[in-house]
Amino acid sequence: MSFFGLIRENGVFLLGAMGKTLELTLLSLIFAAFIGLFFGLLNVSKNRICNTIANIYIDCIRGVPLIVLAFFVYFGIPMATGIRLDALTAGIISLSMNAGAYMAEIVRAGIQSIDKGQMEAARSLGLPYGKAMCKVVLPQAIRVMIPSIINQFIITLKDTSILSVIGFPELVKAGQIVIARNFETFKMWAIIAIMYLIVITTLSKTARALERKISYGK
Amino acid sequence: MESKHTESKNMEHNNSKISIKGLRKSFGHLEVLKGMDVEVSEGEVVCLIGPSGSGKSTFLRCLNALETITAGRVIVDGYDLTDKKININKARENIGMVFQHFNLFSNLNVIQNIMLAPVELKKLTKEEARARGMELLAMVGLAEKAQVYPSKLSGGQKQRVAIARALAMNPDIMLFDEPTSALDPEMVGEVLEVMKGLARDGMTMVVVTHEMGFAREVASRVIFMDEGVIVEEGTPQEVLLHPTQPRTIDFLNKVL
Repeated sequence: MSFFGLIRENGVFLLGAMGKTLELTLLSLIFAAFIGLFFGLLNVSKNRICNTIANIYIDCIRGVPLIVLAFFVYFGIPMATGIRLDALTAGIISLSMNAGAYMAEIVRAGIQSIDKGQMEAARSLGLPYGKAMCKVVLPQAIRVMIPSIINQFIITLKDTSILSVIGFPELVKAGQIVIARNFETFKMWAIIAIMYLIVITTLSKTARALERKISYGK
Repeated sequence: MESKHTESKNMEHNNSKISIKGLRKSFGHLEVLKGMDVEVSEGEVVCLIGPSGSGKSTFLRCLNALETITAGRVIVDGYDLTDKKININKARENIGMVFQHFNLFSNLNVIQNIMLAPVELKKLTKEEARARGMELLAMVGLAEKAQVYPSKLSGGQKQRVAIARALAMNPDIMLFDEPTSALDPEMVGEVLEVMKGLARDGMTMVVVTHEMGFAREVASRVIFMDEGVIVEEGTPQEVLLHPTQPRTIDFLNKVL
């Protein structure tokens, strides 16, 4: 079957799977942002115990491949607890935990890049640490973090493909299903690669534009 | 506020705004302040001079607990800053600080910079804070810059905004950490003018400075420090014009 014939025949199915991929990415990143903010703030705090907790989390998660984490959450946890997770939930948990660790490092680096005079000036006015962080330091840090967050978005989007191993019907899984039926290995993987390429390029270009807009408003 | 003032009556003797006894500060093994005793009365303008690395800025930063104090007692405006139990944020509300590098909040425009603390700390409503902010901006001659972001201001303008921002909390004491050292020479004057105005209005001020002219004209007392100790102190006349200590004479010969 021709390239375009394959697209005609499987387009809707593949686009649906791409939708699932984006849904998984977006949900995971939202949770990852909270996880990252939480551990990032623990990491920059002056409290040693907080730093240690954050470092343990970051080191553990970064030291385990995502595929192992996904197997652990999807197969391991139900075995130990009897709680059965569906593939989407397990996928979101694994991806959020994974991206959260990287986000924590992005948050830490972002905060540390802001001149410490900003925090001192805020504290010297009597603002408590939390207020100074939220009103002065974080708004500036987020601006600095935007390129890294975009980068993490793209990495997480690509990492969703790993979740095909737990049977989540994202784009790679969908590709495997189609190929199992029509054996068009070369053309199908090319189509899927191009689909990823289009989405990721569009995202990074939009994000770049956004980034530029934000820095102009400074 | 109430408890603070009753408390302060017990701790302060007469009208002392700042009372420091045996202040020591170490960074690791390096002792930067080696036992300092300073009293500052209400309305006094104390200028700290001395070579770089003598501990002037560290001393000033101890006065609002931006540095942790290694030993000694520091009582500022009735708050014992060496007491772990005091609310340091409350104490800082009464102590304005102006930094060498301005440290204006770059994510906020000029008026927002000034309004942030009074509004967040519920000292003033938004409208009151804005009105007060505009008043202060007029005082430092920058009313037309209210909506401008700090990155669009000159150094002298930034420092005047920083002074207005500190004043918005109605502090009893103002600390200046080399406020003109990062400025181009032609902008030094405008900042010093604002500071002179404050001094005339009776603000209690501690100023770390290299501006000997300012010290001579405005200071009620000059403290010369070197290597973490006070070498000489007295009126500007005494310290700047008739110094008695060899180290003071040596320093003044180099800078004047």
